[in-house]
Amino acid sequence: MSTRAAIEVRGVTYAFGRQGVLRDVSFAVLSGQSVAIRGANGAGKTTLLRCLASAIRPQAGEVRWFGQAATSEPATRRLVGWVAHETHLYSQLTVHENLTFAARMCDVPRPAGAAERWLHNVGLWEQANQLPSRLSRGMRQRAAIARAMLHNPEILLLDEPFSSLDIEGKAWLLDLLGKIRDQGRTICFVAHDRETVAQLAQRVLELHSGRVREVECRTCGTPPALPARVA
Amino acid sequence: MKLAVKRRYAGPMGRDVLLGGLTATAVFGVFGFAPTEESMGEVQKIVYIHVPVAWFSLLALGVMAGAGLAYLARRDLRWDAWAEAAGETGWLCSTLTLLTGSLWAHEAWGTWWTWDPRLTSMFVLWMIYSGCLIVRGSLEDRHRRARAGSVLAVVGVVDLPLVVMATRWFRGIHPASPEMEPAMHVVLLLTVATFTALMFTVLARRYRQIGLERRLAELEDRLVAESG
Amino acid sequence: MPHVRNTAGAARKGRLKEDSVVEKLWWIVHKDLVSECRARRVWPAMLLLGAVVALILSMEMNAVPGEKPRLVSGFLWLATFFAGMLALDRSFVSEREEGCWESLRTYPVPPSTVYFAKLAVNVVALAALQAVLVPLFAALSDVPLLAHPAAMLSVSLLGNLGISSLGTLLGALAAGIRHGANLTALLVLPAAIPVVLAATEATSLAVAGDFGSAWWRWIQLLGIAAGLFVTAGWVLFDFVIEE
Repeated sequence: MSTRAAIEVRGVTYAFGRQGVLRDVSFAVLSGQSVAIRGANGAGKTTLLRCLASAIRPQAGEVRWFGQAATSEPATRRLVGWVAHETHLYSQLTVHENLTFAARMCDVPRPAGAAERWLHNVGLWEQANQLPSRLSRGMRQRAAIARAMLHNPEILLLDEPFSSLDIEGKAWLLDLLGKIRDQGRTICFVAHDRETVAQLAQRVLELHSGRVREVECRTCGTPPALPARVA
Repeated sequence: MKLAVKRRYAGPMGRDVLLGGLTATAVFGVFGFAPTEESMGEVQKIVYIHVPVAWFSLLALGVMAGAGLAYLARRDLRWDAWAEAAGETGWLCSTLTLLTGSLWAHEAWGTWWTWDPRLTSMFVLWMIYSGCLIVRGSLEDRHRRARAGSVLAVVGVVDLPLVVMATRWFRGIHPASPEMEPAMHVVLLLTVATFTALMFTVLARRYRQIGLERRLAELEDRLVAESG
Repeated sequence: MPHVRNTAGAARKGRLKEDSVVEKLWWIVHKDLVSECRARRVWPAMLLLGAVVALILSMEMNAVPGEKPRLVSGFLWLATFFAGMLALDRSFVSEREEGCWESLRTYPVPPSTVYFAKLAVNVVALAALQAVLVPLFAALSDVPLLAHPAAMLSVSLLGNLGISSLGTLLGALAAGIRHGANLTALLVLPAAIPVVLAATEATSLAVAGDFGSAWWRWIQLLGIAAGLFVTAGWVLFDFVIEE
């Protein structure tokens, strides 16, 4: 299991209109690895993560999760949890209803119970019946994290998850993600803060003008290159 | 994305000469051969442009929807270039159909416009083309533009028979199968054939032009990428 | 966090309980209806517009004495179409805020399920509109629109389905275009002309109690249109929502 690629990215190219954002990006993330993605503003980090989450289809190339095309089976999508730049919370549903809805969409058994457990986990139990607009940005971020983790995804994608959290929140999220990494699940996150990157990431990828470069690899001898086999 | 268009323009070719000859024959046929109609006079000759453009605007919808389906199946932008070219030529022809039809209506029925089944259907067709062009124009990404255009083209091609059916069940005044002299009929067929060939050539030229535009954009992008 | 891993093993092998698609469809509909009931963003405006259009048109209802039932039927369907556009146009707007649409598209839910859920919401919205407009037009015009309730109901349902199925597909398409929200009516109008025409004719025939071959022809046309548009939406929705 440990040498299997959780995420394979092959020749992914994406452009907004005529402006190229990702140019022939290829890399692989092995199952159980945690990878940080760095890069200047506008380097294409969010676009890359949206491609990894299959929210957008690259104009060339493909993304695979555990060897399966990211766009094919709705059931395959259950493998992935995604914390995006926006919170993805419906403004007219309470936090608890939002989480329950997400749990139902992801086939979580006993969705209301799962939502309650996660409200406890992220420290939003008292705000369970409030609308997202009543919460602070940091609390909404916690709700968004809970929404992405409800179904215990094997692959977790996070777009600047630490950005709006306070010091306490950062420590909590570091702890949570550390546990998830230690359980052998795959994490791919965008972060600028060197400290959090150093604590959490085994590998660091840097995006520069639409191309990806490996700047650091602390994993136990596994080569960062693509696996030879083309699935 | 391969839109390689390698051949250079090498002056008028056999096809162009043939087309020119055909057009000249058709023009002669309309003004020199076909008899002038008794009640409407010269105005009746509108039919020799009206029927061909109306015919081609229907044909172009088929081409657009076919190319659109092919794009959705294959995700190849070359198909979308066909759809785009067909959409533009189709819009042009349906506009001309409405204009020439309006002139005809003014002379024959004394009104510029009436909600006759065929007129209504042609108006709907014109709106389908216009909708396609507007939606295409407001999307920057090529693939999104192609997807939206294809979906609209398919909806249009599904819709048009229903429009024709619905409007025909109200009775109309449009000449359904006009009684013509054989000479008129021959000329009409000739103009339809000529115009179809002409418009397909325009369509193919436009396709080539779109391909070249895209190739140019690609090369510019690559230049920017390599220098930046 | 002891429960973090409780279903992960099963998820990895794809053996998680497969909730039925119908159940997910219902929860999307439920979410949209609950949201609308709380925020009341669309329906009040839609019903008000329908009523105002009805009142304005009622001034012209006696213009052509002999053709009154036909005129009223036409006005009824025009009002339904234009007020309904408001709901169809907005059916994807709530999804767009805070990026909810992106996660709905990445959930393990087939696009066709999302289409049918949104279609169901729009059918309910249009049905609510019709439930107000039909009695209102009947009261304003003295045309007995409800003289044959079963016939009126079937015409209303088929016309509703035709307009909603088109509006859901093209509304999603317009919502994908930046500043394109106003395009929905423009795109739906030409395509919906056969539905509006057929519904108008069928309504006026139903008012007259004339259920002959002409009535059946219009009902068949309505049925075919609804069937074709629902099929088109089902097949094409996947392409419309892709980004």
